[in-house]
Amino acid sequence: MANGSPTAPGISFPRQTFAKLTPGPFLHAHLKQQEPIRASGRSPEDFRKPNINTGSLTHSNGSAVVRVGDTAIVCGVRAEILLASDIPHPPRDDLHEDDLVEDLGLLVPNLELSTGCSPAHLPGSAPGTLAQSLSYRILSLINASNLVRPSDLAVLYTEPQTEDDTPAEEASKVTKAYWTLYIDILCIALDGNPFDAAWAAVIAALQNTLLPKAWWDPDREAVLCSPLAADARQLQLNDVPIASTFAVFSTASPLKRRNEFDSWILADPDSFEEDLCKESLTIVVASKKASCGGILRLEKTGGSVIGKVSMQQCVRMAEDRWSEWKAVMGG
Amino acid sequence: MQADRRRINAPPGGTAPPVFASPKNTTLKRPTRTRKPDEHRKLFLRTGVVPSASGSAYYEIPPQTPQQQGLLVPASSSLKITCSVHGPRPLPRNAAFSPNLLLTTHVKFAPFATRSRRGYVRDAGERDLGMHLDTALRGVIIGERWPKSGCEVVITVLEGEEDGWWGDAGGKDGGGGWGMMSVLAGCITVASAALVDAGIDCVDMVSGGVAALVCDGQDDGKTDRGARMVLDPSPAEHREIRAACVVGYLQSRDEVTEMWMKGDVGTQVEALLDEAVRAASLTRSVLAEALREAVELKMGAGLDDANGGLKEDKGKKKDVVMSG
Repeated sequence: MANGSPTAPGISFPRQTFAKLTPGPFLHAHLKQQEPIRASGRSPEDFRKPNINTGSLTHSNGSAVVRVGDTAIVCGVRAEILLASDIPHPPRDDLHEDDLVEDLGLLVPNLELSTGCSPAHLPGSAPGTLAQSLSYRILSLINASNLVRPSDLAVLYTEPQTEDDTPAEEASKVTKAYWTLYIDILCIALDGNPFDAAWAAVIAALQNTLLPKAWWDPDREAVLCSPLAADARQLQLNDVPIASTFAVFSTASPLKRRNEFDSWILADPDSFEEDLCKESLTIVVASKKASCGGILRLEKTGGSVIGKVSMQQCVRMAEDRWSEWKAVMGG
Repeated sequence: MQADRRRINAPPGGTAPPVFASPKNTTLKRPTRTRKPDEHRKLFLRTGVVPSASGSAYYEIPPQTPQQQGLLVPASSSLKITCSVHGPRPLPRNAAFSPNLLLTTHVKFAPFATRSRRGYVRDAGERDLGMHLDTALRGVIIGERWPKSGCEVVITVLEGEEDGWWGDAGGKDGGGGWGMMSVLAGCITVASAALVDAGIDCVDMVSGGVAALVCDGQDDGKTDRGARMVLDPSPAEHREIRAACVVGYLQSRDEVTEMWMKGDVGTQVEALLDEAVRAASLTRSVLAEALREAVELKMGAGLDDANGGLKEDKGKKKDVVMSG
């Protein structure tokens, strides 16, 4: 169909038919207009509005349900006791305090996608590449951001003074056990961009976590906890980092010349757009006291369309998104 | 335990759940059943929670007894189940020809669903629940309309019913798995709602109901003294559950597609079955109401589509001209 020709009327199909038959040209036709728009009606810089609900699970120490558009993720944090005497390789004395949590493996995140959240993720098989890589990315981000102080997770015991000690000497405090937090993330519905929603669910659930008061009982040689809610303390996070993902839709193809293509950066892609985009960028912005601080992590894979200028625009969009998430999480 | 190579594992050395000391000043009170023996707990059912699946539903029984004041350990849990249906989809090329719809059910408890943490691999109890659910749904689906096709019903239990009160010494394992029966009743109801949401042909709506023979007071030594029949039991509320029965019931045809009875019923088999059927009729009214709302929503959206503009709150989708 030549533009401007007054002849034959085109065939018209409902939108869903075009989207199924030719998804690439369908999205391209939306984006190449004067005012680019995506197939779902959002503009390329629009993120989806997030929704968080915490504390709804009865058997978890902390929980959160995050909904971003049609993606819904549930995260539950369970605390269990790891005795210091059970640790096979005790940490070296010169290990920095920030590395202790990672060395002992006290935070154990796992993302489960095979819950029937989308037709591509049906149960019955072991976790695939996507689930494993997302779990690992969350683990490495937790360790890199130093979210939890090891002193918050330690169960200390003040050893009683024996006759050998002089009264002036201070009683020594020994760490008898650690709290291990199992962070189980379940994807209930998936419509693109699981990482952002899963990370936000982890942060919200950790902020919601209540750890019971625990002490070492020397007679029973075990750790006992108090069931009273008044004795429990809320877990304090060092930082509230937020992740933002961008995808790049490009019309480059091996059949065209190398620099003859158009590209658009789409913030917070949904599953339709994720299937069409090869390049993606994830920016994790850390917090510094009340305002947002620097970049904690930058991951870019799949192509070379995003250059320095576009990167700076994306960082600015990520910082705005940080403020949006912070408002929803309620400080 | 074997380290799962595909998941992030616990720290080497193993962890154990925390042991709570009895509080000095507060006494623990066992929750008691305050509703009548033939009254069901309040249910919440909603469809369309997973838009990318063919059909989906979410079922919840909110906690009835208020949390005991100031205690971290929850008195009793609620039930939260989510179900998604994917199908009918074509079978893989190398599958044998099947003249009926091939139904696959899958039930999984989330790791945070029960008082003690569960693993990610399905165990025997979950497979058993899947089998019972399969029996219940098979009787209601019109399979002949979908040859060479398969349908997957996936259930995730976000929070499961308990087997007994946590304050009872050794009550958990000696209980006999009574919590699973309430979970099965919920699974049948939610799967039925999801199937209707997916548009799979059924002869009727199947609803799940559970009833039990419980013992609350002092037992005099006679077998039936002190035992009464209740529907929709919450195992934490009773000192002892003698027997329980779950049914999958089709009300308009008065048929039972699935029945699972456990325990020592004595001579009251038929009475227990009737109670369970009554429980199923009560849940069916909630099911019908939820499905009516869902269908009205879909019909409303469908009418607008015919007029050329989908009424979506996600954003206005504008039509574009595709050329080239």
